[in-house]
Amino acid sequence: MTTQKLKIMVLDDEPIVCNRLKPALEKLGYEVDTFTQSIDAMQKIQGTVYDIIITDLKMKGIDGMKFLQEAKKRAPETEVIVITGFATLETAKESFQRGVFDFIAKPFKLSEIQQVVAKAAAKIQQAGG
Amino acid sequence: MDNQRAMELIADLGEKSGGEYIFDRKYLLDVTGELHNLLLHLVKGLNLIGENRYLDLYPALDRLLLPLEAELRGRLRLSGELPYVIPLVDLPLDRPDLTGGKANALGEIIRRLHFPVPPGFVITTRAYRRFLEQNHLEERIHAWLEAWIAGEDDERQTARHIQYSLLAGVIPQDVAREIRRQAEAEDGEVFWAVRSSAYGEDGELSFAGLHESVLNVPPKGIFEAYKKVLASLYSPEALIYRQKMGMIGEEAAMAVLCQEMIPSQASGMLHTLDPAAADPDCLVIYGALGLGRTVAEGRAADRFLVERDSPHRLKGEEISPKETLLRPGAGGGVEEAAVPPEEGQRPSLPESARETLVHWALALERYFKRPQEVEWALDAAGNLWLLQSRSLLVPKPAAPLLGDIRESCSHYPILIRDQGNVAHAGVGSGPVCLVTSSEDMDRFPEGAILLTPYTAPWLTRIIPRAAGLIAERGSTAGHLATIAREFRVPALVGVEKATEILKPEMEITLDTHHRLIYAGQVKELIQYELMQATVFEEAPEFRLLRRLLKRIAPLNLIDPQDPEFSPAGCKSLHDVIRFVHEKAVQELMDLPRFLKRFKGTQVWTLVSEVPMDLKILDLGGGVEAPAQGSRITMEQIRSLPLKALWAGVSSPGAWSTEPIPVDFKGLMSSLTKTLAEAPGVTPYARFNLAVISETYMNLHLRLGYHFNLVDARLGPDQVHNHIYFRFVGGVTDLTRRSRRVQLLAQILSRFHFKVDTKGDLVVARVLHLPQEEIGRRLQLLGRLIGFTRQLDIRLRHDEDITQYVEAFLQQYSPPGDGPQ
Repeated sequence: MTTQKLKIMVLDDEPIVCNRLKPALEKLGYEVDTFTQSIDAMQKIQGTVYDIIITDLKMKGIDGMKFLQEAKKRAPETEVIVITGFATLETAKESFQRGVFDFIAKPFKLSEIQQVVAKAAAKIQQAGG
Repeated sequence: MDNQRAMELIADLGEKSGGEYIFDRKYLLDVTGELHNLLLHLVKGLNLIGENRYLDLYPALDRLLLPLEAELRGRLRLSGELPYVIPLVDLPLDRPDLTGGKANALGEIIRRLHFPVPPGFVITTRAYRRFLEQNHLEERIHAWLEAWIAGEDDERQTARHIQYSLLAGVIPQDVAREIRRQAEAEDGEVFWAVRSSAYGEDGELSFAGLHESVLNVPPKGIFEAYKKVLASLYSPEALIYRQKMGMIGEEAAMAVLCQEMIPSQASGMLHTLDPAAADPDCLVIYGALGLGRTVAEGRAADRFLVERDSPHRLKGEEISPKETLLRPGAGGGVEEAAVPPEEGQRPSLPESARETLVHWALALERYFKRPQEVEWALDAAGNLWLLQSRSLLVPKPAAPLLGDIRESCSHYPILIRDQGNVAHAGVGSGPVCLVTSSEDMDRFPEGAILLTPYTAPWLTRIIPRAAGLIAERGSTAGHLATIAREFRVPALVGVEKATEILKPEMEITLDTHHRLIYAGQVKELIQYELMQATVFEEAPEFRLLRRLLKRIAPLNLIDPQDPEFSPAGCKSLHDVIRFVHEKAVQELMDLPRFLKRFKGTQVWTLVSEVPMDLKILDLGGGVEAPAQGSRITMEQIRSLPLKALWAGVSSPGAWSTEPIPVDFKGLMSSLTKTLAEAPGVTPYARFNLAVISETYMNLHLRLGYHFNLVDARLGPDQVHNHIYFRFVGGVTDLTRRSRRVQLLAQILSRFHFKVDTKGDLVVARVLHLPQEEIGRRLQLLGRLIGFTRQLDIRLRHDEDITQYVEAFLQQYSPPGDGPQ
């Protein structure tokens, strides 16, 4: 990471996912905000643009699908990574290919998501520079 | 195959506890749900072929599954079956909600690290709730707290109300009875240290010093001290702290720890990092004469600065003159006394005890993954005791991390990258120690990195001493990986050429988060890890997973002849799977009945140069398609495991250590003739049977009085591969039979099997090795079955065992590391 730190949002209603992703991504030099309530995350993106959003699909309140549509509308350049249970992965892929950078089935390895994030970061930096 | 799938799920759960994966509660629910269904299916299947002779399995399943569901559902739900009082040595792990943070940590120290901790017991949070219930306090406390939050009362008034009502409460009789029983279990007149162990205390949050400790309590004073400690949960300071931490809405709960008083000549604290000093490479020890409160209260104390790195040189020493000390009062409590002038200049901690303490502290830090604050005491006889250990609060580093941690470490050469599978996540550093034999084990230094060609189960013993584990071969689901997770040792398995690249005594740092092995001690990374905000092992989901695993994964049913080998004896889901598998095979062995029930099943008879009467039942793909008639030769067998085993059985010399007899066939037929009855052998085994498919084999061999069972899977995907070998029986007396057991155990261990023995029974298992490795071991078993067949008579003395082990190994050396 050369200049500005990339900003990442993690949204998952299970705290364990947020609690583990935050340090694992910060360690690689990203700035990370985590949310377990989609409504809070929704509020946050009204005023803040994230470079990368990592979100679950099935959540109470506003579900992930709605959230990522809104996020994309607000900031089309944001890269979205969807993390979802194995069972819902295929349907997820079918229903919205467009606009999603990658899909990862839970449970996943930390290294797996770190790689996907690194790829997304490379894409962003290429576009920016 | 339900059986296979269930075993895979169990292995999967085990791996997830290693920290490499991100999983959520949903995953735990899904997997337990699937296991539930698979097991019901298995039990149903067995009852189908066994004509409902195993209906007892249903209540056994209920007994195991209900608590699992309760674990998954409940958060802080303390069911009625949990105890009020538990002796320290029996403390359940991973239940800080029941025993409180401090006691939970002590439980792990006793169980995992085996340091001397003063004996005692814990009065659980369940007893606390019972106390509230009995005295109708729950609602009232709630109301007082609400009034405080609403600003109607200040914290002092609130604290006074609550504390007064707690102190005035009556301890329920059932709780009091349990406490008395534990307190009287110790011999003689014991005085007690009664300390708080609140839920949340000493965990991620530190309540250090907020709650009460009452020292030197006489037995009859325990009840009052207990209430005093309970009341400290609601001191003004504790209230304010919990409010600041946003915990006031959550239920507070207090467990209380009662430990025997150690009448100490000296005591104090150790910090594994010295937040005050500039030198991050040192730890600091504080010591004073008498009881420990002196140091905690910040009074004058000796200060020793010791290097964290071996050989832990003393970097600084300040001996402060001591004029007074605290000592136990005769009737209880503590009193201050004058120190004789000549004593006052003496260091509180002699050098040898200091060394022991440093070694404990670093092991504690390695285990808990956080800088530690350790309380110690030295008794009158000079024995060192560990009183407690908790995370040391260290101020965050002033400068936050800039960029990628790996960049900060980039000036260290990387020796190995992106190799192997993570068995347990973490960072460990130390000198490399290559272990290939049990002699190496004894000289394994504390805090070294264990390097080994295989994840052999006999290495288990040194895992607690290791700072890391690197294996060239092996599985993250195997026994050694499980042990590494238990002891939280960072572990990477399947690292090719590790033993070539890493040399003994080389200083390295293993980072399994990024699968990197650095040359040298990467201080930046080690410090970073110690300072990081969360330790995954302490997360509630990981505790839950470990509690689930304890009810799922251990295998207790080993010996089918044991009376415990029954539905009632099943203590885990693994046991149920094992029981079902064993009984299904037994049902199958009753071949005539089986064939009657399942008409049209083809059974072949093997024609071979080894003339044993072997029947073969093909489940599919195990036999060449156009096999005619009822006879078959080895050339027509396609089953990979049977072919591998047979290569061993039929290899020259396999059936004897002596020159091959001229009349080979004659000899063989006399030896393989099935005998009607033999001691210790189940009656169903009246012929030899192999149930096979292309990649699977379940083989029962009855050779003379020896009964062999080999259950194996051998295919290209190593995750599915396994061997289970069982050997029982023998014609001679038990002493000689047990010699044969030792011989088998020794040989099998050298080939990295996990071996259990009992009487004349040997059970050996190996998991998840690549195809050719499993093949070699099956071939070995083929030879071994022949080799041991006639050994009973020859093993006249214990010394003969070694001789025959060597004789066997000379012909057939273990893979990888040669004869040891």
